Amino acid sequence: MDPKNETVSPSRRTPRGLSRGLLTVVAALALLVVAGFIFAPSSVSSGAVQSMLPFAAVLAIVALGQTLVVMQGGIDLSVAGSVSLVIVIVTHQAYGDDSKVLPAALLALGVSLLTGLGNGLLIGRLGLNPIVATLGTNALLYAAVLAVSGGTPRQTTDLLARLAGDSALGIPHAVLVAVLATAVVTVVVKKTASGRRFEAVGANGSAAWAAGLRVQGFKAGGYVFAQVFYWLGALLLAGILNKPTAYQGDSYLLASVAAVVLGGTSLLGGRGNLVATAVAALFLIQLDQFVLALGFDFAGKTLVQSAAFAIGVALYTINWSRLRRRSQRPASTVPA
Amino acid sequence: MTPHGAAGAVTTDGPADPVPVDVATDTETETLSEMPTETPTEGLDVTRDTAVIAESAMVLSGISKNYDGVAALTDVSLEIRRGEVHALLGENGAGKSTLMGVASGEVSPDAGTITGAGRLIERLSPALATQLGIAIVHQHPAVLPDLTVAENIVVAVPGAVLGTGAEQIRTMQQMLADVGSSAHLEDRVGNLSVAQRHLLELAKALAVEPKLLILDEPTAPLGADSVDMLFERVRRAAATGTAVVYITHRLAEVRELADRVTVLRDGKVRGTAEVEAITDDELLSLIVGRQLESTFPVKPPQDELGDGVLAVDGISGAGFSDVSFTARAGEIIGVSGIAGNGQSEVLRALAGLTAFSGSVTVGGASRTSRDLRMRSAYLPADRHDEGLMMTLSVRENAALSALDRLRGRVLLSRRREDTLVGAELTALDVKTASPETVVSALSGGNQQKVVLARALLSRPAIVLADEPTQGVDVGARAEIYRILREVSAAGVPVVVASSDAKELEGLCDRVLVMSRGAVLDVVEGAQVTEERLIHSAVSATVHQGGASRTAGSVSTRRSRFLTGDYAPVVILALVMLLLGAFVLSQNSRYLAPFNLTSVMTSCAALGFIALGQTIVLMTGGIDLSVGPLAGFLVVVGSFFLTAEKSAAVMALGLVVMLAVAAATGAANGSLIRFAKFTPVAATLASYIGIQGLSYLLRDSPGGNIAISVTRLVKTKIGPVPVAFLLLVVTAVVLEYALRRRGPGLRLRAIGSDEDAARRVGINVGRTAVLAYVAASCFVFLGSIVLLGQLGIGDPAQGVGYTLSSITAVVLGGTSLLGGRGTFIGTLLGAGLIVQVFNAMVFLDLSQTWQYFFQGALIVAAAVIYSQVRRVRA
Repeated sequence: MDPKNETVSPSRRTPRGLSRGLLTVVAALALLVVAGFIFAPSSVSSGAVQSMLPFAAVLAIVALGQTLVVMQGGIDLSVAGSVSLVIVIVTHQAYGDDSKVLPAALLALGVSLLTGLGNGLLIGRLGLNPIVATLGTNALLYAAVLAVSGGTPRQTTDLLARLAGDSALGIPHAVLVAVLATAVVTVVVKKTASGRRFEAVGANGSAAWAAGLRVQGFKAGGYVFAQVFYWLGALLLAGILNKPTAYQGDSYLLASVAAVVLGGTSLLGGRGNLVATAVAALFLIQLDQFVLALGFDFAGKTLVQSAAFAIGVALYTINWSRLRRRSQRPASTVPA
Repeated sequence: MTPHGAAGAVTTDGPADPVPVDVATDTETETLSEMPTETPTEGLDVTRDTAVIAESAMVLSGISKNYDGVAALTDVSLEIRRGEVHALLGENGAGKSTLMGVASGEVSPDAGTITGAGRLIERLSPALATQLGIAIVHQHPAVLPDLTVAENIVVAVPGAVLGTGAEQIRTMQQMLADVGSSAHLEDRVGNLSVAQRHLLELAKALAVEPKLLILDEPTAPLGADSVDMLFERVRRAAATGTAVVYITHRLAEVRELADRVTVLRDGKVRGTAEVEAITDDELLSLIVGRQLESTFPVKPPQDELGDGVLAVDGISGAGFSDVSFTARAGEIIGVSGIAGNGQSEVLRALAGLTAFSGSVTVGGASRTSRDLRMRSAYLPADRHDEGLMMTLSVRENAALSALDRLRGRVLLSRRREDTLVGAELTALDVKTASPETVVSALSGGNQQKVVLARALLSRPAIVLADEPTQGVDVGARAEIYRILREVSAAGVPVVVASSDAKELEGLCDRVLVMSRGAVLDVVEGAQVTEERLIHSAVSATVHQGGASRTAGSVSTRRSRFLTGDYAPVVILALVMLLLGAFVLSQNSRYLAPFNLTSVMTSCAALGFIALGQTIVLMTGGIDLSVGPLAGFLVVVGSFFLTAEKSAAVMALGLVVMLAVAAATGAANGSLIRFAKFTPVAATLASYIGIQGLSYLLRDSPGGNIAISVTRLVKTKIGPVPVAFLLLVVTAVVLEYALRRRGPGLRLRAIGSDEDAARRVGINVGRTAVLAYVAASCFVFLGSIVLLGQLGIGDPAQGVGYTLSSITAVVLGGTSLLGGRGTFIGTLLGAGLIVQVFNAMVFLDLSQTWQYFFQGALIVAAAVIYSQVRRVRA
């Protein structure tokens, strides 16, 4: 142990309002845009951006929900089933009838809240492993998806398509909703007493318990609020897509976790970088555009995603300054 | 003062003391000069050294060790001779355990040399120490809670000692009987009492007939009969030439057992003597010696104390019983005693963290445990675990318990927070670059002040401080004492537990001395002195409640089954039989050979992959990449195993597939162990990447597998596919290895308790990486079956195996926390999943039900298993 390790190194400081995760992911996005202008101008054309943004918005919203769960040291595999279920409920229940959109959306919200409560009960109260519990609820959700839809897609409803797909002042509605959602969740987590306690419980449950907080309730709450975000994201997606499939949520599982991790929120729980998660979602979708514009196929796109993800994690987990010092003396085994 | 001047510097005397702040230097030198020295300190005399080494079991010289800049050991030299019992005395934090950590290879010293078995040891590891015949009985036993007693012995004791088969069992039973343990070999160690775990630790150490036996406060959790047995065993070992180091606090034990004694204080040797040649008073003065530093705040005179603010009346709970005391405003209550005698437990109960019976009245109102948790401020001994949110900032940590006061109209007012927290941080003189600094970047003393800041900002009804200055530098200590005194003066009851009697002397007005969970003595006013407190504590010879502590309950065959890993297997088998019977009653073609073959083939692919997943989960990890890997290997195979290829190319293809699998496992394991990825993050990265590789090789299905190959894979004996038979055989072999062979035990050991596994000499990093490699190799086996089933390289296939393999493992009862599980259970779990899917067809149920049953099964299994485990605990 070197006493110098105990002194404050610049990298461990968190300047007001700018987390390391946000800085990293904003820099990455800027780099990507610049690279786009140089190597693949079609990836940054206004048409490409306009068509990409709504999908980035949906991923951002879903990933915000996943962030809340990850902040509690959990992971939510039921995001796939939840998104799919909300989509089939609003497309099948309200099929071709604008007046049924609202009741269907509310029904879907109710189902989402129930799912969240179920997850929260299993994980927060009964102490199940989050992977196991949400794996189970995900299967149950898919049972419901099939029960509602029979596995067949339906055309989305006009009202929903307008609400989710139109633009105001040149900005897609979905983007406005995503920005609003990010702002609200950030303010609630960072600026209210409950939000701050929520973050503290995620950072260290036993210390939070010793400090008199209701640990189980906060843990369960993460899963419930996450579902609200999945619901919102799915609702938008149901409007953006002309004919969403019954398995539309599948692609959001890995993507949402990737956005959370790239945003710098640790999978071990604790501080949530919510704005960074949203920016990371934008980065991931734009990365797809960029790679496709370069002429890569699905395979290349997936490989680039994997590399971006691994590099993103390594930026946070590997203690680079220690690694640089390694040449002088053997490193000790303190995990980052 | 170090005998025999073994190679290296010998400077423990006062004047040469490298630490300038030690106030007591002069008095020490005096005391030391009176000490009987058996041999004069000599320089580097090579011939003499060789002679010494020959009669010594171990010579430590010039050992120094720093933790975070705080010296734990400074230039300590110690020689331990064959056949002697060498007592190591000193207060808590004197460095005894660290020194013995060095001697047993668990702690690597910053400076100094270790000579053992007649030669200089360059780098001592726990494994090497075991080879050299060094055995240690830890204060916190290095036992693996998820393993049985027998498995704990097998994993720690060399095979040569234990023998094999029936002889092995007899040896192990004899080992337990020798230390008077009533534990059964098949008992899970996690279910044993603390005393039984200590006896197991002792049995493991004695079994190897060590050349050097180190006992770290072995009597603390033991009852009277066990202590007698222990002394007898120690004497017997010494008589056969074993060198014994006996760490203790109790003078009585030194007198009864030891030949020589070495006293440590503040990480330095204060003297070594023949026990017969030194009096208790001389020993005490060596242990104590330190002068009261003038950093304590002034105590209020007795007559200026206020009204009673705290009344604790006959509270009992886990680890303590019938504790009563009162406190008046302005009075600080101390809780003293040798560490681990119930002090922390009393504080935790008063903080509302553990249940208690009896009554607690704070400020005139009776308080329940729940009230106490909400209203108390608890400063834990372990700040990392229960005190601070290490990843959050100083401000966020300090403000946590005062958030209700920081509210503006709707939201928290950052201005108010900055002001309030800033003022508190200034008042406590917290040294931090900024309130936004991550709290883990602060020194121990400043971290403790942040905990204090939170406590004070919460306006607590009572303050409970457990070892408030542990790991805190001298300057910050004085500040912490001052703050506690101020809090107390304001009328808030303050209770401080400390194993540093000097600290209690300086800080407290009244001190309870605890021993084995009971209050032994209450010392007040001018009586509160270090000598008095230590005297009370170390002269305690009572071994209360000995019988009940040692005996423990004797387990029955039934309880061992329920606490074992095989209960889920039986449950699963029953469920499968019932399901089978029901389906058969609905559709008689269920048992047709064609259907049986198809079910067993599907089961083979999933089964192999799930076995791999089990290996990883056993270590406490998870492998999300198994599904894509299985698909990818089929795609790779589809380039080699096609009709027109020669046998040699096909063989090469299999080698390539295996190599790809092993490389994937190595990459996963390395990312996790060396790059510190969480298992989810690491295997998620490979999940995505491998999928990309599949599509890179084939963007659509292609490469028809040769009929000869698929036919070979689908070979049957009667209706039973050979692949399925191989799966069953593999599962049984793995199960055997898991219970009886080194690799299996090591696998479960690192999942059960990584730290304890390291201490019994297991290479944790290598074992974990190999687990991921092994898992991927089983995915390779699964992919061969899959290849035969699919008959074509399809990049979209395989992904689903990730989730279904996890489902199979969970159904089989393997814990995702690591350390326990069964391969047989996984096999049945995989079987049940395939059976459910198949049954849906026969019952004419839709896919909806397929998903429903899968989800319901996994949730039900997880809930039932977790509840059963909780009941056991």
